[in-house]
Parts: sequence; C-alpha cells; structure tokens
Amino acid sequence: MLRRIPLPPFSFHTFCRLIYQHIMATDEETKPVSTDLPVHPKPQNEEFDIVATYRSLLSSDREITMPIAAIESLIDFLSITPYVTSMELVEKVKHQKALLLASAPNPLPILAGADLFEQFLLRSLRPPPAASSSSNLTEPMSFDQTREHLVANKQLFAQRAQAARDNIAIWGARYVSDEKIVLTAGGSRTVTKILLRAATDQSKHFKVIYILEQGDSRSQAAVDELRQAGLEVETIVPNKVAYVLANQKKINLVLVGTEAIMQNGGIISGMGTAQLAALAKAVPGGMKRFYVAAETHKIVRKTPIAYPIVSKMGVRQRDITRFENIGVDLDNELVKQPLLEESDEVDYTDPELIDGIITEQGVKMTWQIWELVDDYI
Amino acid sequence: MPPSQANYAPSLDKLIKSLKSQPYEASIEALIFLLKRRQVKGDDCAVATAHILLQVVARSKWHDVDQLLGRVQSVGSRLARAAPHEPVIGNIVRRVLGLIRDEATEDRNNADDLGSDSASDIQSLAPTNPPPQRPAPTPVLMRSNTAAPGGLQVSKSMFNILSAATNADTPMTGASTPLSQAQPASVHALRTEVINGIEEIMDEIQQADDQIASFADIQIHPGEYVLAYQPTKTVERFLIKAATRRRFTVFIASIDPIEPGNGEKPYAALRKKLNSHGVTTINLASNGLMAYIPRVNKVIFGAKVIYQNGGLLVDSGACIAAQAAREFLKPVIVLGAIYKFCPEDPSDEAVIGELGNPSSFVSYADGPEVEALDIENTVTDYIPPSLVEVYITNLGPQTRHHLASILADHYKVEDIGYSLHDGEV
Repeated sequence: MLRRIPLPPFSFHTFCRLIYQHIMATDEETKPVSTDLPVHPKPQNEEFDIVATYRSLLSSDREITMPIAAIESLIDFLSITPYVTSMELVEKVKHQKALLLASAPNPLPILAGADLFEQFLLRSLRPPPAASSSSNLTEPMSFDQTREHLVANKQLFAQRAQAARDNIAIWGARYVSDEKIVLTAGGSRTVTKILLRAATDQSKHFKVIYILEQGDSRSQAAVDELRQAGLEVETIVPNKVAYVLANQKKINLVLVGTEAIMQNGGIISGMGTAQLAALAKAVPGGMKRFYVAAETHKIVRKTPIAYPIVSKMGVRQRDITRFENIGVDLDNELVKQPLLEESDEVDYTDPELIDGIITEQGVKMTWQIWELVDDYI
Repeated sequence: MPPSQANYAPSLDKLIKSLKSQPYEASIEALIFLLKRRQVKGDDCAVATAHILLQVVARSKWHDVDQLLGRVQSVGSRLARAAPHEPVIGNIVRRVLGLIRDEATEDRNNADDLGSDSASDIQSLAPTNPPPQRPAPTPVLMRSNTAAPGGLQVSKSMFNILSAATNADTPMTGASTPLSQAQPASVHALRTEVINGIEEIMDEIQQADDQIASFADIQIHPGEYVLAYQPTKTVERFLIKAATRRRFTVFIASIDPIEPGNGEKPYAALRKKLNSHGVTTINLASNGLMAYIPRVNKVIFGAKVIYQNGGLLVDSGACIAAQAAREFLKPVIVLGAIYKFCPEDPSDEAVIGELGNPSSFVSYADGPEVEALDIENTVTDYIPPSLVEVYITNLGPQTRHHLASILADHYKVEDIGYSLHDGEV
C-alpha cells in the first residue's frame, strides 16, 4: 500500500527522478525502443511491479548483470516507497525480493544481488560497534542515511559493476600466456573482456578456441567481438571438446564465466560447464587450468549439498530424476511453474575441479569464497 | 649483518662485504651477474635481495615516498628478471614495498592531512604497466576492523559495490599519499624506519630455519620412520632438532649418483650429526624409494617456493616421493618459511619444471652416447597442492586453506598486482 503524502526528502528524489525520466524519455524517442514495458513505473498511478522493472532493466542494457539488475530494481522500489518505519520497510523489501525470486526459473543470480542488498540494508539497523574509531569516514550510516545513499547512487553501483569487470580483465589477462590457446565457452562478457585485454598486450600472441553450439547467439556475439578485435578464434561444437583437449597440446587455460558462485566455491553456470571442467582435468595431454571469471556480487550464500544439486538450489529446470514419458503426475506443482528453456539450463561444477576464481578483488581459490561471504552475514 | 651460514657461495659473501665500499649501482650489477650465472640461488637470493634493497633505500637519492617506491620497484624487477626461476626475490621486494607503504601511511597520519587528492602512485610510476588492481575502496560501512588508517587492507567485503560513494571515487584510497611537501626531517625518519624494517626482514630470514625447527618435536614422534627427500638446510636443522628430543629413524633419499672417486656417501655430515644423537639413518637411492614407502610414517620436504594455491616448487624427484606417499596415505609435511610464500599462481614454466645440466648423467667423453641420446635433467619439480598435508612455517603449522590469510598479512594488494617480471621502469 502506498501512502499519498511522501515526506520531504523523498518527494525531492521523486521529483528528480521524474525530471530525469523525462529527459531520458525524450532522448529515447528517436530510437525504436519498444515502450510496452514501463521503464520506470510511476509511483502515483500504478502499483509498482518489480518483475517488470527488473526485466526492463535487463533488456535495456546488455552489459548489466542479473544481480545488479535485481539490486537496481529494489532501489527503484525503495525510491517510490513512502517513509515508513525501518522494520516495515525491511518487510516490504523482503516481499519484493520474494516476488522477484518467484518470477525467474533460475533465481540464483537474483538471489545473489537481492541478498547483498538486503544485508546491506539490515546492517545499518545494527547498533554501531562499541570500539569505533574516531574518524568520521568510518562511522556507520544510520538506516535513513543508508536508504538515501542507496536511492541517490543507483547509477554509481552499475558503474562500479562495470569497473569490477575491468579489474577482472586486468587480473585475468595474466593467465593468458604467449603462444598458447585459451579454450572457452558460454559467451560470458567477463571472459570476452579478459581476452580483449590480453590481446592489447603486444608481447602475447595467443589464440582462442570457442565452444559454440548451433544457434547460441550469445556465444556467437562473443566470437564476433573477439574476431573483430583481430584475435584468431576457432569454433568447435561441444561434441569435440574431449578430442580437442587431448590433441591440441597448446591449450593451457580453460576460462569460463558463471551465473552464480556458491558459498563452497562451486559454480552454477550454463549447461556444459561441468563437463568442460571435468574433461579439462581428466583428459591426458598436457596441463590445463580451469579458471572462472566472475564478480563477487555473483556469490550466492548457499551451500549445495543434496542431489540433484541444481534443483535443490531452487533452479526450476527439467527434472532429470523423472522420465516424463512413463506417466508422471503432471498436476504436480513443480511442473506447473515455468521451467528454464533448455538453452538456458544450468549445471553445477564442483570446486574440486576449479583452479581459481578471478574476481575484481584478486584471484581467489575456491576455499576463499566463504571468507568473502563470512564478512557479510 | 653478515649471513651466518658458512657454505654460501664465496662470491655472495664477497659481494655483501663490498656493499659499503662500492656504489650501490655496482652492487646491483654484481648481484644480477651472480643471479644470471646461478652462483646465488635458493635461500641466498632472499638474503641478497634484502641486502641490495637496503642499500637502495639507504643510499639512493629520493625525496618522497613515490620516488622511493619507484626505485625499489625498478631495482626489484631488474633482479627478478635476472632470475625468473627464483620467485623468492619478488617476495622480498613485495615485502619491502609493503613496508614502505606502511611507514609512509604512519608518517602521513602524523603529519597534517595533506588532502586526499593523491593520484595513484603506482599508476604514475609505471605507465607502461596496466594499472594494478586498485585496492577495494575502503568499505565505509564496515565494522571498525577495516577502519585502519589508510585502508590498505585487502578488503574481503562484497559490500564494496554498495558502499558509500565518497571513498570509492578516489582510486587508491589512502595508498601512500605522496609526501612531496614533506619536510626533509620526515624523509630522514622514513629512511631510518624502512632500513630498520628491512633489517627485521633479514633477521626473519635468518631465524626462519630455527623457528621452523622448533616445531620438530611436535611433528616427529618417537619410533617413527621419516623419509627426507634430498634434505635442504631447513630440513636438516629440523631433523637434528627433533633428534635431540626423539628417537626415530630417518631415510635419506637422494638422486645424486655417488661419485666413484669420492667414497663419501651423500649427506655424510647430516648422518654423522643424527647418529651422534642416537638416530638411525638409512640412505636410499631415489629409484628404490617406493619400496620403503609402506614402512615410512611421514615424508618431509623443504620447499623452494610455495604458491598461493598451495602448490610448491621442490628439487626434482620429490614429486615422485609425494605421489608415492599419497598412494600409501602417508602424510607429506612441507617446511617453508613465510618469505617463501609467493602471492601468485605458478607459471606454466614452473609447473613443467626447469631443465639443468645433464652432464652428470652422461659423460662427454662417451661420444656415441652424447650423439644418440637426448638427455633432460629436470632440476625442479612442481608438487600440486592436493599432495601436501601440512605446511610448517616459522609462524607455525598451516593448512592449505589458511595460506590466503598468511599472504594477506604479509603483502599489500597493490604489490601483488604489480608484476615484477613485466615491470619495466
């Protein structure tokens, strides 16, 4: 429920927002953008639809990651929510988060972003630490300050996410060696950045083998981008991976992106990643390292333990423990919910198979991931 | 501070003695020469690097912290490039850089705050380099533990992305604000502080073996059979220390063929010392090692370098022993001082191993053999982290999963990002 009378600080923000939207809207009129989805739903008239906001954010910007889109849509929600008590606001945020999670067959990336956001908000509710130092900068913000800060700096967070990717490129480019071949798959933008960055180094001449399935437009776009930058890219079909790994001795690095990093250092990523990781370790023929490039905001605070892992983590995709042609109860609730498209299905790669995770804070071993999470509970 | 070991290559001794009498630039050249000819290797590299950097700090001309950092970086990368097979050099350089940053931050906090419009010092110093990983912006909302002045700590927080804007806009939060306006007095003080710090590092290097040995009687129990593969000085001291407290049996495995003329068995001195304490020693040829593994309780190595993933470089052949131990579920213990922990992943070259002089295996007098055979003699082995049970450092035993925090304690994130091998100034 929205109250009619917003309090002064937020009416100001709302005002700024509207001006901004107005400017943006006039800018975008020239482009053939579909205006079906409300880009920024107006608080006064309609009920705020977080799912629509999230989707329009994702479709409007190819560079934005799912966790960041989730964070931004929650900030949008904050900015239109009239002033209420902090606990009420937290409850409302939780509700929106749940709506958002329910809307996606693969909620993990959203969960990563939304959890981060929620924890950040909750942190300000804590009493300030007793032994806080004298410096003003380190004073924790109050709840209201936090809220204002979040609403006012929405753009900044997206920029930082971009900057994080650039940092990953700097770290990751070191792992690309001269006269070697990088094997990659999945069309990750982070991986593309790493390879482009490595290509700017005059002392490195390397080639790329891209695993590309027919009709995978994301990967195709990545291949095109790399080729445009002058890199030698060879594409192979997924069936060939073991053959290429065994016979192309010059491959020394297998590099992939991911959708979500689990707390134990495992990753849940596009279907085929687990195969690739297992093959990189198992196929004889020279040493191959398997690295994952991902920003830390993709870390999900969940530890996978039970099988089938992906389904237990809340991803709704075709359940491989059933055989649908031998009489399954189709009235089952799970079946009714939308499932992931087959091309978007994900699998789980065990941390044992991963040599390192390249984040913007440096290259982390898989067992260091919990340290990152530890700090944010 | 003269190094204590007597069996240093004489030329390094000479170099250290002559440090004071010749210009420091000449000493650098002399050390590079020694490194290239491998007359200085292993642990000596660390000592030598510390000595040279001490000279650089003490005798080169610098007026602010940025200049000093630049000097140390350029000398450091020259040394590192002279011996790319010795990552220990890079470790010492990084330690010294971190030390300078610490002292500079302290200094700055004492002086008036000069404002935080400082550009990144590294970026201005090494323009050809990609800007190193900037430290994560100080998370303003973090609890007080990250509130240390300067905020140089490696932030472990995922909240960076959401933290308050003020600090995030300055690229190098608090990283050694240039002291360009600083008084000469403070430069002098900084010099003294840094020199003291480097001397502490040298002390640490010297005492490391003793400190590691002090954990010996915890690791070795009475009546055990211990396999030492080509014991290094560190391992020797460890075993001797254990021998003073425990009765056990040592298998000494070595690859060196016993030279026919010289009747002495390898590691005679070590054996003599161990025997005098009543510890039985048995010499093994390394190719017969497998047969003894079932009898052995634990395997001990000295590491040349320990990488951030827990893998390590050792003398060649040790990997066979480690793998054999793994097959028989025997623990592998690695001895390595803190200064050997390298905040990088192993390079491809390191993993493949380094090739050495094969002439001890085939005599050049034997023409047909030299003609017909390709002989490779690897001198280093890489042991993957999965084969190692425990790392004994001078700060105590550690498992692989805690190496990251050791690295975070000893190196600054800016210096980890600074690649010494590419760094041309």
